[in-house]
Amino acid sequence: MKKLLQNIIILGYLATLLVGGVVAQTPSVDASSSPTVVDKDIQQLKDKIANKVSEIRKQNNKAVSGFVQSIDGNTMKLTNNGEVNQVKFDDTLTKVFKVLGTTKKEIKTDDIAKDDYAIVSGVVTDNTITANVVLIDENFLVDSGKITEINKESYNIKVLTSDKNTYSLDVETGTKQYMVNIKTLLRETIGFSKLKEGDTVHFVVKKTGKEKNNNYSAVKILIIPQEYFIK
Amino acid sequence: MKKETIIAIFLGLLFGGIVAVFISLKSKDIELSTNKVIAPSKEKILSPNLTGTEIQTLELSEPADNAIFEKDIIRFKGTAVEDSLIIIQSPIKDLVVKNTQGKFDLEFPLALGENSIKIVVYPKEKQFRPQEKFIKVYYIDSEL
Repeated sequence: MKKLLQNIIILGYLATLLVGGVVAQTPSVDASSSPTVVDKDIQQLKDKIANKVSEIRKQNNKAVSGFVQSIDGNTMKLTNNGEVNQVKFDDTLTKVFKVLGTTKKEIKTDDIAKDDYAIVSGVVTDNTITANVVLIDENFLVDSGKITEINKESYNIKVLTSDKNTYSLDVETGTKQYMVNIKTLLRETIGFSKLKEGDTVHFVVKKTGKEKNNNYSAVKILIIPQEYFIK
Repeated sequence: MKKETIIAIFLGLLFGGIVAVFISLKSKDIELSTNKVIAPSKEKILSPNLTGTEIQTLELSEPADNAIFEKDIIRFKGTAVEDSLIIIQSPIKDLVVKNTQGKFDLEFPLALGENSIKIVVYPKEKQFRPQEKFIKVYYIDSEL
């Protein structure tokens, strides 16, 4: 009786092994028979992960700008209107370019000098931005206001903005001067003599950070004549 | 003095008082009706209907301040008061348009790097102040 029980147990064990082996083998046979389906699934998963990583990178990607206050090896400090940003360079990742009008030229981090205006794009972690791209460019100020004073001898105008700032703008030979035609609303090129006190002016100036008394050389001015507002 | 005399005096005074009050009220009404109104008439007050009215404020739904773009052309989308003059200025572009509808959707080019852009709306009704917004957006070429 004892032997019979032992035999039954052994047979049962063997049967379990046999059935288990067959069951375990079944999927592997299926998988080898249709590899393209699995490959597609893996590829889809890879794409999803890549998209998610790219999305997260974009979310964390930020851009900051400012004048270079200090540059030391792999770090640089930027200041802009009192705001300070710490930038870290990555030897393998960071690319530096100098913007020359509409073109750009690749330079090295060693070429960045103090007081340069830098635009940095990268990932921010712990108040430090790890730079992917650094662009060395010029800083422009864009504003508008009313002409309060015209000096026809020094080709200078005083402009009062809505936030009560007074700018002194030098209109030079290189300054682009335009006026809005009040009938067609098209932009027309003008000369300094067309400017009148009371006209509204939209202007662009280059900012170096070393200006005194809010005096700038105007890059571009766009006049809206006062006649537009009294018609 | 006789009792009848006292009653007669009292009634006389009472009657006199009533007549005096009546005349005084009547003369006030006559005076008001003959007065000329110096203030403008109701029609004239209501016709311009501008004081107290709220003007549509400049709302910019796109682009967001400090946004980074991989393309050098973006769109300015938002709402501003109808028939206003919209001026969008950057170092490389001046855009002057009449906002005939409340909504606007304008194409605007970007320069490589930082783009400081000022948008000003001049309402048609000149008594309203211009509305302004200043934004910075970045064009970082994806190939960089």
